[in-house]
Amino acid sequence: MIIGIQIIGILFSLFMIYYTFIHYKKNEFTVKESVFWFVIWTLFLFLTLVPQILDPVISTLRIARTLDLFVILGFMFLIGCVIYTYGLVRINQKRLDGIVRKVAFDIEKKEQKK
Amino acid sequence: MKTFAIIPAYNEEKNIREVIKKVKKYVKHIVVVDDGSKDNTYETAKKEKIPVLRHVINLGKGGALKTGCEFAIKNLATNLILIDSDMQHDPNEIPRFLKELKNVDIVFGYRKIDKTMPAILRFGNWFINASAKLLYGLNLYDTTCGYRALTTSTYKKIRWETTGYFVEGEMIANVGREHLSFAQIPIQTIYSDKYKGTNVLDGMQIVLNMILWRLRK
Repeated sequence: MIIGIQIIGILFSLFMIYYTFIHYKKNEFTVKESVFWFVIWTLFLFLTLVPQILDPVISTLRIARTLDLFVILGFMFLIGCVIYTYGLVRINQKRLDGIVRKVAFDIEKKEQKK
Repeated sequence: MKTFAIIPAYNEEKNIREVIKKVKKYVKHIVVVDDGSKDNTYETAKKEKIPVLRHVINLGKGGALKTGCEFAIKNLATNLILIDSDMQHDPNEIPRFLKELKNVDIVFGYRKIDKTMPAILRFGNWFINASAKLLYGLNLYDTTCGYRALTTSTYKKIRWETTGYFVEGEMIANVGREHLSFAQIPIQTIYSDKYKGTNVLDGMQIVLNMILWRLRK
């Protein structure tokens, strides 16, 4: 029998599959990226439908419920995403900083030549 | 000795010309960095026939100061004076800064704590000063005052990454890290706009950043 939380999980994974598909069609994701995300969300859908498959993992890790495992993995993923994004923002900030400075120097050089 | 005055400006068309005129009395070489102003700051500053660098987008005070310092170094500057464009700093103090700079690596201006300073600024300043002392062992009277003078060799040692308002904090952190010598001189300050400059949230972020910069060491 499918319980409420599973319905949410199924709807979420179906939405994410659709979201990945839209990005693929708009050429915003490459084929490799799209396949990667399709596999991730299909796996998520499968585990939501058949959570019993994770029972050996849960008992080995001494986690009370399958949902708890998903929550732990979710938090780990989010923290990873935040750190990755922070790094990316810092890199882009430095690049932008450099570009703006270079443009400022170039404008001044042109002005001096006039 | 070739001294450059660096004036970062953002939407300061009303004050910029007067500031430049006053600074010109003491410093021959001036560079204004228009940090993506939406008004006519760039055009107004250009009328004074000095180099005016224009950021195509607003980077923040730290970014503007860095652009100005890099420009000065390219033009063989030996000393740098950092002064605000909103008339908060009195250019008549420049000779005192330059005199002190002969003996130290960097000179910090500090605002006199009196009733003219808004209470919230007084508290914020105390909090940031105490944090700087705790984290870096530097006994500074005013960590957020942007009126400063430094040598170019000092600049190269303390080159900052911050683009925003936290630049003053990072400068202090780097001075502490590099064990540079410094002096402090009192300056007169005119508070034209109490909502401008460093607010409470900025203060909290400065302290948080100071902790991060300390860890970076």
